[in-house]
Amino acid sequence: MTRAASPRLEGYVIVLAVALVAALVLRRPELAVVAAPFALSLALGLRAAGAPAVAAALAVDAERVVERDEIPATIEVRAATRVERLELLLALPEGVEVASGPGAFAVRLAAGEERSIPVALRCSRWGIYDVGELRLRARDALRIVTWERTVADTTRVSAYPRTESLRRILAPRETQVFTGSEVARTKGDGIEYADLREYVPGDRLRSINWRATARRGGLVVNEQHPERNTDVVLFVDSFSDVQHAGRSTLDDAVRATATLAARYLERRDRVGLVTFGGILRWLQPAMGTSQRFRLVEALLETGVEPTYMWRDVNVIPARILPPKALIVGITPLLDRRFVATMADLRGRGFDLAVVEVDPISYVEAGRTELERLAYRLWLLDRGVLRGRLARLGIAVARWGHDTELDAALEGVRTYRRRARLARV
Amino acid sequence: MLALADAGEVALPVGARLVALALLALVGAIVLGWSSLVSVSLLLLGAAYATHLAADDPALDVRAPLVAAGLLVTAELAYWSLEEREEIRAERGESLRHLGVVTLLALGGLVAGSALLAVADLARADGLAIDLLGAAAAAGALLVVVLYARRTD
Repeated sequence: MTRAASPRLEGYVIVLAVALVAALVLRRPELAVVAAPFALSLALGLRAAGAPAVAAALAVDAERVVERDEIPATIEVRAATRVERLELLLALPEGVEVASGPGAFAVRLAAGEERSIPVALRCSRWGIYDVGELRLRARDALRIVTWERTVADTTRVSAYPRTESLRRILAPRETQVFTGSEVARTKGDGIEYADLREYVPGDRLRSINWRATARRGGLVVNEQHPERNTDVVLFVDSFSDVQHAGRSTLDDAVRATATLAARYLERRDRVGLVTFGGILRWLQPAMGTSQRFRLVEALLETGVEPTYMWRDVNVIPARILPPKALIVGITPLLDRRFVATMADLRGRGFDLAVVEVDPISYVEAGRTELERLAYRLWLLDRGVLRGRLARLGIAVARWGHDTELDAALEGVRTYRRRARLARV
Repeated sequence: MLALADAGEVALPVGARLVALALLALVGAIVLGWSSLVSVSLLLLGAAYATHLAADDPALDVRAPLVAAGLLVTAELAYWSLEEREEIRAERGESLRHLGVVTLLALGGLVAGSALLAVADLARADGLAIDLLGAAAAAGALLVVVLYARRTD
């Protein structure tokens, strides 16, 4: 531990020095008497201040949590020597806080004593955090000298984004070959009734519709729509981010992506991820719980990295964007490059939908006339971008803070029910 | 007699001003969290006492140990207050224990001051040699304190 003088020590030395000099100069022994208690305090404090032998660590009980959930942790302290006052200060990274109360504790330890102090932490935002840095400060009984040390034995904690409530999702226009939960447009073995047709040799007896057979006078069988899985690629726009009062559009975009991914994976769909911004990252579509964890871990690394280097979708391997996949773009609609990419994908015949993380609530109109004019122009520019997507037949769901994600997606569902896929 | 009366009349407002300034510095230290203002406040209070001694010019002021203990308690409470600015969850009884330490320290200071005053009363001597001896002792004590305090492990 590093020894350091406390402000008390500095102050007392100054008082002592000035009082002694004044006593000599003014020839007043009373001034030396005034200095005596300070000298006594310094003498006792410096004599008692031995180097403490202390070991401490912060043990975090969970390495994966959902944001805003409490993380149980314990501060383990062990003292080889007696410590009159040991202050343990949690040096938490930005985004992690103590759930209740202060993030510092003071204990008195006897020689050989061990102590466990429970503490509840909380991640206020999704992300990856290195938690465990502790600052130790030991003081003697008179608090003349302090001993300090930093313990940097950290544990990596992943705070997963909290998912929004979502009852229904966007159904892709086309299905894939594996069994899933989406009713396919094609006919085959399934549950959902599709049509009637005449019996052909090889049809199963149980598929014969006896009522229709009795009416028509020949064997008629039921046809069904099979239940198939779908491929969905979540395309996250990380070109730009708007932040205000601890909230950000990227945070919301990641939450929406995690929500959609979880819901699609529950239906046995294959879900892939592309984060499109300064750094291009992708994850091949796959299904299952492990894919959910892979997706969320990939999302946690999402950030806005400024770049002037333009890369289009050509750099994305073909297997990341499988044919007949539904591509859901999640964007604050602030960067034209993302809109251009959507147009590019639309030109390649992909089924597209866009969830617009509305940044309007993050931006103030401004006070001056010029600021308000700029704000209005910005709104118009956003309208132009939205119009470009609409002209390409891409439905846009506007998701703001006053809207549920479910409600925002309902508009897209209605649009897609009426729209037809056109080659452009 | 006239000169002494004049000195007393002048010293009172000067002392009062010094005390007022000291209180201001102390409040500033506690409100702003500047620990260096505490020592300024202590020096101003000491200066006020020195002004009082210069004005009254007693043979030996027997209240000096009380003044010393008072100054120490003021300093301890001020530094304690500054330490409490940092929000730390302490164990139960911690404040009482420290209060006990401060009380013992003040009593110890009172005893030490009284002893020193008694020694000063008994051995009142004058001259250059005594002055040099006092200066050397003061400088030596300060040097020891500074060296010990700056040592790092």
